[in-house]
Amino acid sequence: MTHPIIRLVNRNITISLNPGFLIWQVIFPLVYIFVAGFAYAPLVQGIQFGAAKDLDYPAFLASGMIGFNIMNSTLVSGIIIWNDRRHGMFEQIMSGPFTRGHYIISNICTIAIVGLVSAAFIMAVGYPVFFEDAEISLVTIPIIVFGAVAGSVLFGSLASIISTRLSSSEGFNVIINTVFLFFAFVSTAFYPAEGVQEPLRTAFYLNPLTYLVDVIRAGIFGSVDAFVAVEVAVLAVLACALFVVASRLLTRLNV
Amino acid sequence: MPHADTADTCIDARHISKMYGRTSAVDDVTFRVQRGRVFGFLGPNGAGKSTTIKMLTTLVRPTSGDISILGIDAVKRPLRVRQRIGVVLQQPSYEPTLSVEKALDKYGMMWGVPGGTRRDRTESLLEEFDLAGVRSRRNEDLSIGQRRRVQVAREFMHDMDLLFLDEPTVGLDPNARRDLLDYLQNRVRATGLSIFYTTHILTEAEYLCDEIAIMNRGRLLEVDTPDALKAKLGDEKTIKIHLPYRPPNIRDLLSGMDGCRIEFGGDHRFGGGGGSRTGSRAAITIRSSESELVLLRVLGILRENRIEIEDLSAVPTSLEEIFLNMTEELKGQQGGPDAGAGGDGGGRRNSRRGGRRA
Repeated sequence: MTHPIIRLVNRNITISLNPGFLIWQVIFPLVYIFVAGFAYAPLVQGIQFGAAKDLDYPAFLASGMIGFNIMNSTLVSGIIIWNDRRHGMFEQIMSGPFTRGHYIISNICTIAIVGLVSAAFIMAVGYPVFFEDAEISLVTIPIIVFGAVAGSVLFGSLASIISTRLSSSEGFNVIINTVFLFFAFVSTAFYPAEGVQEPLRTAFYLNPLTYLVDVIRAGIFGSVDAFVAVEVAVLAVLACALFVVASRLLTRLNV
Repeated sequence: MPHADTADTCIDARHISKMYGRTSAVDDVTFRVQRGRVFGFLGPNGAGKSTTIKMLTTLVRPTSGDISILGIDAVKRPLRVRQRIGVVLQQPSYEPTLSVEKALDKYGMMWGVPGGTRRDRTESLLEEFDLAGVRSRRNEDLSIGQRRRVQVAREFMHDMDLLFLDEPTVGLDPNARRDLLDYLQNRVRATGLSIFYTTHILTEAEYLCDEIAIMNRGRLLEVDTPDALKAKLGDEKTIKIHLPYRPPNIRDLLSGMDGCRIEFGGDHRFGGGGGSRTGSRAAITIRSSESELVLLRVLGILRENRIEIEDLSAVPTSLEEIFLNMTEELKGQQGGPDAGAGGDGGGRRNSRRGGRRA
């Protein structure tokens, strides 16, 4: 018999893979990369990135879309907990052959898997757009994977925390949509932080998506410097902290 | 306290209590359930049934007391208990985006049931629970009754020794309800499965259960077989008298009756004054273990006052009435807000019998 965590991950992935989720995951980023990316390209001149590297806007946006899609998919996966509570499946699972530990770890694993697959998909789709500038190496691949996993855990934990704290559908939707809007558009996913006026620029760096996008972008374009190292550390600390909080809240969640 | 894995006991609950803050949900409950039997757990809403079932299924830890399920200490080894039980909770639980067929299969997968067995069980459960016609429909598109049937059917995807069913017939139509009860009965006979069944539908308990516990306000009032409960507590008969109108002084006329409980009902509430022959119909319900004597006295009073009788019947007290009496008596003893009320029009208690507790 397979391990309970694997069985729960299997179940989580099955219930996540519905048409709405796939459209959200596939169509959205494709529209951003191939419509917005090329439509805005004449307006946005070469973007300086790292050590004297100019990226065109589609390449900049496609690399940002990897982090954006990780956030997007893991927020949705984190909603599994919300849906389980809403549809009575949390109690049902807890009365079955599983512990809370199994449940928490299975959700994190699901989120990480969805995040990695999502990142790989956007990498594959976006590669033709940024392949001329890409400098992926054995040194940068671990940074990209680390960023993807840490970002998944971070946003998955955040969605889990929201799921455990709210009980009304309206409240949940308002919070998730607000969080999504802030994270998506007050970040470096769509535009560089350089040149942005204060206090917006500071707000960019209060947003974990900025760190995730910067780390992945640095990995793809081979421009890992001291600042990126700090961003890796911030991402790791935030992911750990939110994971601990989410686990504690899930452990205490009443049935 | 260690529990012996006695061959014939599947649930052994001893002095279990559950407090939520200062509120007592379950208070010092003790009972034992034999293997291969259906144990009914009855009580009105808020009696503590669901809290008890949550403690027995390890979802909630008791504040005090010991629980042994299938010989396993449920407080110390909850996972081992959960690996051997099935649970259908009171509230709906479903995967909204999965089809009925897929939901059954995935639930079996979650329990580690091999693929071939899952396919066979899915097919047979779809037939047995009359779900074959909606097998491809998503759970969120089902009616409440269909969704409930999926929820119960799903539990039979895996093997178990003990099944907890918390009001499983809520939302089912009468046919589906009877089909479910028959299915459970056959399952018990064929496999020796033990069932812990909570409900507030007394006819279900009477039909299905070998033994019944009655609970109210967190306390266990009685535990016995349905027949024994009726023999013990149903010694009284219920007399129902219908009047074509509501006499204004009927309460006063019957106020001196001892050895019975009288409830006044009808299309309008009984009260002082204002009644007339053109008023609405009225009903008097009298419960007494000396029903013949009481009936003669009541008929005498009605005749003396020239009160016309439209209809009269006397029936043995049903399990439902026993249950209502017991729970209402406890309310009266505890001085609840509606203690003393009974029937549509407010009751008057002349009962000589005190409350009974296990």
